[in-house]
Amino acid sequence: MIPATLDGHLLVSGALFALGLLGVLLRRNTLVVFMCLELVLVASTVALVAFSRYNGILDGNVFVFFILTVAAAEVAVGLAIIVALFRRRQTVQVDELNSLRN
Amino acid sequence: MSPALLASGVLLAPLAAAAVIAFGLRRAPGAATAVALLAAVLVAVGSLVLALGPARDFTASVELLRLGTFGLSLGLKFDDLAALLLAIVGIVGLCVHVFSVGYMREDPDRARYFGGLAIFMFSMLGIVFADSLLMLFIFWELVGFSSWLLINHHFQRTPAAEASKKAFIVNRVGDFGFLLGLVWCQAQFGTTQLDALAKAVDGGAVVAAGLPLLLFCGAVGKSAQLPLHVWLPDAMEGPTPVSALIHAATMVAAGIYLLCRIHFLMVPAALEVILWTGTITALYAALCAVTQRDIKKVLAYSTLSQLGYMVAAFGLGSLKVAHGDHHHLIAAGVGAAMFHLTTHAFFKALLFLGAGSVIHACHHEQDIFKMGGLARRLPVTFTTFTIGVLSLIGMPGLAGFFSKDAILYLAWAKHPGVFAVLALTAVLTAFYMVRLWRITFLGAARGEGAEHAHEGGPALTGPLILLAVLSVIGGYGWFYSGLLGGRFDGVIDSVVHPAGADHTLILLTSVAVLVAGALGAWLLYPAAGEDAVARRAPRLFGLLGGLQASFDRAYGAYVAKVQQRLAMLLNFLEQIFLAGLIVRGLAGVVGLLGLGARALHVGNANAYAYWFLLGLLALWAFAAGLLSF
Repeated sequence: MIPATLDGHLLVSGALFALGLLGVLLRRNTLVVFMCLELVLVASTVALVAFSRYNGILDGNVFVFFILTVAAAEVAVGLAIIVALFRRRQTVQVDELNSLRN
Repeated sequence: MSPALLASGVLLAPLAAAAVIAFGLRRAPGAATAVALLAAVLVAVGSLVLALGPARDFTASVELLRLGTFGLSLGLKFDDLAALLLAIVGIVGLCVHVFSVGYMREDPDRARYFGGLAIFMFSMLGIVFADSLLMLFIFWELVGFSSWLLINHHFQRTPAAEASKKAFIVNRVGDFGFLLGLVWCQAQFGTTQLDALAKAVDGGAVVAAGLPLLLFCGAVGKSAQLPLHVWLPDAMEGPTPVSALIHAATMVAAGIYLLCRIHFLMVPAALEVILWTGTITALYAALCAVTQRDIKKVLAYSTLSQLGYMVAAFGLGSLKVAHGDHHHLIAAGVGAAMFHLTTHAFFKALLFLGAGSVIHACHHEQDIFKMGGLARRLPVTFTTFTIGVLSLIGMPGLAGFFSKDAILYLAWAKHPGVFAVLALTAVLTAFYMVRLWRITFLGAARGEGAEHAHEGGPALTGPLILLAVLSVIGGYGWFYSGLLGGRFDGVIDSVVHPAGADHTLILLTSVAVLVAGALGAWLLYPAAGEDAVARRAPRLFGLLGGLQASFDRAYGAYVAKVQQRLAMLLNFLEQIFLAGLIVRGLAGVVGLLGLGARALHVGNANAYAYWFLLGLLALWAFAAGLLSF
């Protein structure tokens, strides 16, 4: 079994972050983009927990709680927006949501 | 009521009237007339109470503005000089207001007219009361503005509109010199208060000739001296009562008044320039007057000529008079100039109002060769006008004789050359006035208007009679010392009258020039429908006409050839550099930036995510110190 080192946790966190970011950049469905954003947030919480553990203090854990709370609120608002968007435009594809242009 | 309060009331009454008319009575000519007339009556009564009262040299001042050590305050200075001009402005102003009621009866815009008269009275009174050169300058400009307003009364007519602009612009040229003098004054003495200046000069402060000459520039503009005289004849486009008030009796007197106010600043070199300016103006204007056909233009040139007399009198300066065993200096120039200003105000206002009465009777015909035969039809106007003419040409016993005598004597005592020119001018004065008088009033009626002429109402004749009386008695010493209680002695005492052999000489000269001029006109000019001299000596006549037009031509050429080209050049540079490079150029750069920024705005959330990432990278690079600004 691989020992739970800081580097390992950061590696996992970095991988998650990269996946999330790539998803945000490449996917065209707003819902998926949104989920990828959540992935980015989670990646940062993993890193925070790892640092907290490594340093032996609780600061990072406290941050995680805040991030989770804010993310929950954000999901509530974001999903509501996406639902409202779909009702209005019958699509949630990013490419078709370009009415800010012109 | 304290004198200072009364003076402020006199000053502010016309302003209040003007404000009421401007803001409330523009469409109510009857009410506007009543308000302006009421203000004129108040001013006349207040002026006479003040001028004939004992109160002098009271002080009252309000500070308007303070900038560091420089303070702008408006205050009153009231001495015999101010009292004399105040009385003139009050009386002539009232006469003109009353006359206007009759003269302007049918004018639909008379509310505006009376508002203009009121604001003019305010400005003129401000000049009279001013205790500092700066305050004088403020009201000086206001007088210029109200003059523009009144000349422009018939603004629908192009000549009137052009004449008003000309008057304003020509005055501005002179006023620029005045302004420079003001700045000089402030820089050298640290004040423009008249009393403080007088004290500084008494204390031995050296005055360069440039300072009084710059201030004199203002007087050259307002009092229409050569070479800035061109506006006055054109200003005759205004309604005739305005010509009487502004262009004969008061506004043009402001220049002379200014000179008398600053006489302590005068140095011999400056006086020499002033003397010759006045003398040449007097002669030049008299020559121009000879060829005019328009009744008002003749009077306008005559005004110019008389103003030249006053300026010349001032330029002659003080006189050393033997008094018992010792000699002492008398400011005879100031005395003679102000004395002539006084009598001239009376008889020239009378002549202009008389001309107004004639024009009114002849249905706005102004060409004297289309008049004639008015002596029988307009008896009151004829009688009073005749008195005015006689007073102007210096008939012994009338006001003009005494004041002209004082000037001629002063010239004789100080400068024989000037005396000769002024005597020649007096010949011409008698010549053109008798020509005007005979052609207008005698002979047979030569025009539609003249045939059906009849006297206007008492509003027209009343002021004429009052001014005629003043034109007769306004020259006698007892009028000032007895009737007016000697209140103007500060000015009148410095009028030097000839005595002994000089008296005889001056009297003989006056009578000789009077007879020569009058007889010449009587012989040359029968009361006919055409100009007899123009027919008999067309070349001489053309020469005089060319002389009259020469200044306008020169200015016209200057404006067209020099100023217009300079303006075009400046306009070109402005278009290229200011409007082109700076204004449009800046706008162009900003517009380009905007164009670039707009290209980033694609409206696609996905693209924004890339931008976001880019921004993040830049931020990280900055934080890591890879980018350094």
